[in-house]
Amino acid sequence: MKGKFLVVLSLVLLVSLVLNTAYGVGAEKKLRVAFIYVGPVGDYGWSHAHELARQYLIKKLPWAEFLPPAEAVPESDVARFIDRFVREEKADVIFTTSFGYMDATIEAGKKYPDKIFFHCSGYMRSKNVGTYFAELYQVYYLNGLIAGALTKTNKVGYVAAHPIPEVIRHINAFALGVQEVNPKATVDVRWLFSWYDPSKARMAAESLIADGCDALAFTEDSPTVVTVGEEYTKKGKQIYTFGHYSPMQKYGPNSCVSGQLVHWEVIYKDILEKIRRGVYTNTNLENVDYWWLLKEKAVELGGEFGVPINPKFVSALKEKKVVDPVFGKISVYDLIMKRLSQMKANPEKFDPFTGPIKDQTGKVRIEAGRRATHDELWNIDWFVPNVIAKIPK
Amino acid sequence: MNIIVDILKATIPAGTPLLLGALGEIYVERSGILNLGVEGMMIMGAVSAFGVTAITNNVWLGILISSIVGGGMAFIHAFNSITLKANQTLSGLSLTMLGLGLSGLIGKRYIGMPLPVKLYNLPLGALKDIPIIGPVLFDQDPIVYMSYILAFVFWFLLFNSRFGIELRSVGESPDVADSAGINVSKIQYLAVIIGGMMAGLGGAYLSVAYAPAWIEGMTAGMGWIVLAITIFSLWRPERAIIGSYLFGGIRVLQYRLQPFGISPSLLNMLPFIFTILVLMIASREISRKKISAPSSLGVPYFREKIL
Repeated sequence: MKGKFLVVLSLVLLVSLVLNTAYGVGAEKKLRVAFIYVGPVGDYGWSHAHELARQYLIKKLPWAEFLPPAEAVPESDVARFIDRFVREEKADVIFTTSFGYMDATIEAGKKYPDKIFFHCSGYMRSKNVGTYFAELYQVYYLNGLIAGALTKTNKVGYVAAHPIPEVIRHINAFALGVQEVNPKATVDVRWLFSWYDPSKARMAAESLIADGCDALAFTEDSPTVVTVGEEYTKKGKQIYTFGHYSPMQKYGPNSCVSGQLVHWEVIYKDILEKIRRGVYTNTNLENVDYWWLLKEKAVELGGEFGVPINPKFVSALKEKKVVDPVFGKISVYDLIMKRLSQMKANPEKFDPFTGPIKDQTGKVRIEAGRRATHDELWNIDWFVPNVIAKIPK
Repeated sequence: MNIIVDILKATIPAGTPLLLGALGEIYVERSGILNLGVEGMMIMGAVSAFGVTAITNNVWLGILISSIVGGGMAFIHAFNSITLKANQTLSGLSLTMLGLGLSGLIGKRYIGMPLPVKLYNLPLGALKDIPIIGPVLFDQDPIVYMSYILAFVFWFLLFNSRFGIELRSVGESPDVADSAGINVSKIQYLAVIIGGMMAGLGGAYLSVAYAPAWIEGMTAGMGWIVLAITIFSLWRPERAIIGSYLFGGIRVLQYRLQPFGISPSLLNMLPFIFTILVLMIASREISRKKISAPSSLGVPYFREKIL
């Protein structure tokens, strides 16, 4: 009798435990989540995008408690902020969202072995430190197709923040797209040496336009390039621009054709749900690395959410025809949509970084038929031939 | 030829916020007060101009408010350093930090908002057709034209008016000025507030004309370049014109020269190398006398008690 009672009791306990963890019945302890940003959340670029994701999660994940984020944290100072989040605010999960936080995050992982850390854009992991990144190169390639089709001067410009692999990879992906539909066009680059300086971005954009570029893409954290494009367009000189990171079409309704958009919330939601379900713990993150692309819906093509191409430019792209080895004669618009759906549904089928790809010196970097590996893309330090700028040493 | 005109044409707007800020700071320092809060006043000017323009759809109202806000910020510094005789360096620095923080707080709702109206270029009829000078100087936006006029007015008043003489004598030797019957505090208050209004205007230029957008921290160190230009121009408005366009031009050139293989890192350093050189020369006591820095710059004035 007593044995039966114990079995029943333990069953009840087990069921309630399962219910507790799976459905949040009863007084569940909320998961405390902290974010550390490198910039002000008002930069309209990187930190802003992470903050938008956090705002979204606050609405969607009632079982998590989101602590007020720490913004504009210098990379040398991040350890102190992690200490504060762990000791005073009792954070369970901490997201550190800048490459420069890498070493400090790994150190913090050792110091607080019972906490979970996720570091954005780094390559070092440990048993309680995972990494994640929403990668845009596929989208840059698609924008390259658009730029190559629309340019009248056959000169395409790119305003770039810093000569680091991420930016070089994006310039190459963009240039590969340009090359595919317009082999005569070149891609010129101006470096800002700053992630965020609207007045420098304006000067760089104007200098590219002065050199004859009429399509401009960029990697930096402000909508300046789109604004400049809109100004020239209004004055009668059509400049095509591509937004970056945040929806920027509203800054240039007559200039912004498309762009790259990011959905960090998709990655954050997946991580937090897996932590909650016990899939990720403080002992098994050694190999947890998110490298999420179009397929995972972590990134999107467009200058506005849900608008892949500004309707103003759709007919021009439909009129422009190219000959594709697989699809035959096809309009650029259809080519973009085909590539987009290929990369969304089955990235194995098509990748922009498929050989043969040479660098500027003519050396073959990716042999015919081979696809660039994650590590090759991650460490890329050479330009494809139709880029006419040099990488500053 | 076209390239040169193009570079010069881009130089004018790049130098305009610097010129506006520097004209104001010259008056401030001429009165013997050092205001390191230019960056803070500029960014507050930028956010208030943007905010007011976004709400009222009136760019000029935004610009007006920005100079009032800049002047108001400067009033805090004036009160600290003239009435309370507090440390001017600290007061100015805290103004910068206050401005950067407060503007971020106020500006949250304006992030990502396009401006409904903005300042467009206004080519000046016949003047625009003068070769070279026309397109460079007279195909710009209204604030640029305003800055030409202000530069002239600031120069004229400083050297050709009673107010200018009083301002300069207060900065050189407040006790002499005082005994000559000049109201030292009044002149200093006036100068500091004018300086703040000009800094606010410079910030407004960034957010409603140059960018035009509100982005946190968008002044990106321009306030410090303004301080360098003030010294570079040896406290003379007419030289501030040269200084501002020179520094603006260096910023423009960084990008124009990149394709010619001139290291962008080197060009990136140029404004700062200039600034350091000027600061080095200016801060040496002997040269200080030679270049006629206001003798009482940064020194609080205590009126001697007459018993």
